[in-house]
Amino acid sequence: MNKFIVLIKKEFVQMVRDFKVIWLPIVFIFLGITQPIVTHYLPSILGALGGGQGITIDPSMTAQKGGEVLASTLGSQFDQLGLMILAISMMGIIQTDKANGMLAFILTRPVTVISYIAGKIVSNYLIAAFSVAIGYFASYLYVNYLFTDVPFSHMITALVFYLVWVLFIVSFTTMISTIFNSQGIIALISIVFLIGCRIIVGLSTVIDFVNSASMSKHAMEVLITGSVNSKAIDNALVTLVWIVLILFVTNYWIANKKFNHE
Amino acid sequence: MQLHYGFDELKDIDFMAFIPIILPFFAVGILLVLIALIDLYRHRKTRKSLLMWTFIILFVNTLGPILYFVIGRKDSERL
Repeated sequence: MNKFIVLIKKEFVQMVRDFKVIWLPIVFIFLGITQPIVTHYLPSILGALGGGQGITIDPSMTAQKGGEVLASTLGSQFDQLGLMILAISMMGIIQTDKANGMLAFILTRPVTVISYIAGKIVSNYLIAAFSVAIGYFASYLYVNYLFTDVPFSHMITALVFYLVWVLFIVSFTTMISTIFNSQGIIALISIVFLIGCRIIVGLSTVIDFVNSASMSKHAMEVLITGSVNSKAIDNALVTLVWIVLILFVTNYWIANKKFNHE
Repeated sequence: MQLHYGFDELKDIDFMAFIPIILPFFAVGILLVLIALIDLYRHRKTRKSLLMWTFIILFVNTLGPILYFVIGRKDSERL
């Protein structure tokens, strides 16, 4: 347990050196406040720039509820650009350690592989969750100011659901980073797989049940309708099973020295 | 439809109505660019493609500074 704390501290020192603790929250604040502002000014932007003759904008379409706008922040900003940024920022999580021989060096010390992986994932998840939460709160403040108020309880519930999906993103990227050696391939595979997961949400109930990305859909549903889908808890449990499986594969890969360190 | 706007029409726009709302949006974006540029300037001796990164940070919106932080800061650590 003591080594685990030390490894987490090492990760945070590394993140401070990379300025990751500064720029990741800033990027998510930027993404979070983009959606409410663009949605709020969409009618006037269309009126000023687009070929506006003959187009009437239905006022009921533009007068959206606060919850819908906050849900579209999750769905169209965090799940697309935010997901890519998370995957790109985490692609070197284990790959850099493999490339410069740090992983082989750490394993010569009396450190268990599990505590190494757990230290990596916990520290990276903390920074990712912090950034997502900060961006989400910024979006929440803007939505309350520009649109109707969103109840605080709905907001927190949706955030908790969304953070489960973020945990899946972080651990999946860690697994891909362990298995493959090139940063480009790691980023490509994780982005394509995770966005693919997000796109096929809602096609069929069976796929939704095993798909972790449906946690993001449940978060949006809480914001729009105000009630928790009964399947959300099941989905969270299935997601946790996936994460344990991913940890197992990562552990197996490192413990059996499948990685090749030149 | 009006395509051309003159400078004398600027005073007709009610700036105070939307500046307080839009200002944080631009401030955050500019802050990100500034952090990346300051870091690039401090390590200007060790970076290889200085000019390329300057243009990427300045002109690729949002994604430019991120790419610099993730990929561009690598080459100094090898030295």
